[in-house]
Amino acid sequence: MSSSSASAATAAIVRRAQERFEASWHDVRTATDRFFAKLMVGQWVFGIVVALTFSPYGWEGKVKNVHLHVWIAVVLGGIIASLPILLAATRPGWVGTRHVIAAAQMLFSGLFIHLSGGRIETHFHVFGSLGFLAFYRDWPVLVTASAVTALDHLIRGIAWPESVYGILGPEKWRVLEHVFWVLFAAIGLAISCLRSLKEMRLIAERGAEIEALAEGEWRRSSVVDRVSAQATA
Amino acid sequence: MIALWLAALGLGFATLWRYEVTAGAAGGPPGRWPSLSAIERPHGRPALLMFAHPQCVCTRASLTELERLRGRLEGRLAVYVVFLRPAEDGLDWERSDLWKRAAAMPGVTVVRDRDGLEAARFGAVTSGHTLLYDADGRLLFSGGLTAARGREGAAPGAQRIAALLATGRADRNDSPVFGCALRSADAAANDPSQQAGGKEVGE
Repeated sequence: MSSSSASAATAAIVRRAQERFEASWHDVRTATDRFFAKLMVGQWVFGIVVALTFSPYGWEGKVKNVHLHVWIAVVLGGIIASLPILLAATRPGWVGTRHVIAAAQMLFSGLFIHLSGGRIETHFHVFGSLGFLAFYRDWPVLVTASAVTALDHLIRGIAWPESVYGILGPEKWRVLEHVFWVLFAAIGLAISCLRSLKEMRLIAERGAEIEALAEGEWRRSSVVDRVSAQATA
Repeated sequence: MIALWLAALGLGFATLWRYEVTAGAAGGPPGRWPSLSAIERPHGRPALLMFAHPQCVCTRASLTELERLRGRLEGRLAVYVVFLRPAEDGLDWERSDLWKRAAAMPGVTVVRDRDGLEAARFGAVTSGHTLLYDADGRLLFSGGLTAARGREGAAPGAQRIAALLATGRADRNDSPVFGCALRSADAAANDPSQQAGGKEVGE
């Protein structure tokens, strides 16, 4: 084999490896979009169940009305879930879809925190969501999610700090502490995403090499061999 | 489409936020323990009264804060939870979770407030309204315990009550009350005792 044909073969393997990698990653992203579409529906229903269970009615003396939390869970939960579900169905794999999903996921954290009356335990939804978003293996998605959470903490921390921290008169820097722990989780997951991508590239390269070897073997075998192989098959 | 989505989200969260930080009516508690009240004023120690709607979910947080406050001040004051009990209603109000929870609190006396007469005498119109009277029957504090509707954790009202009992001073003698209305708007409008009001705290 001449050096020019060898470099052409190498270039073909590299090109094929890139194709395999892109296809594989696209599959991961579309599958994750579909997963989140289902999760959005599940979270919407969960929010409604929580509202119906814990705050079904508001009262004025003997008069009861459907509690605002129920309407909020139905309407606001529905709004949060709507665009991610629509994009996951119509534009799976698109970069905008996963960033909208990341923002929506963190907004569901905010909704659940409100519906639970600011229970500190509900804040764990933020960290669970970051873990789920790492399924995309796309670290910028974690940046979007962290930014939404940081913005939420910043706004509420200024306007109504008790709703975030559960204590009166928290220090001004406390928002940085909360954001730090979110970033701590996001950075760890981002590193994991980059490693996963590296492994995916390696697998794609191996696959492309095996494909090239198989094709070479096929080319080297004689026509007679192939015909007899087909006959015995 | 994304801009529309963001606008709808902003509107939704703003509605929720406004609901949670909007206090109920402040009421008008009398400056002294009302003489017509059927609740016997304890002698020789302060009294803390919380007026509550037994079905109000926001009052869960108020009861939690009351429990914490009672734990901190155990034995130093008499604690009453006065539950609204409408006279004609098919619901078994006395078996609500809140009622049972208050009844299970050690050192807390649960009072059945038939038709909200006691709430009217004490000028309480919102569930969670808490009043602190000193040993001589003077009003020291009037307001809610929680920082917002249904919010546990940071409780400015409870902190003020604790400070008043510990040092006789607090940054304020009142707090907004977050909870359900103890009477419907129509019933309150038709009841002259609701309009009579009372003296301001500290008078």
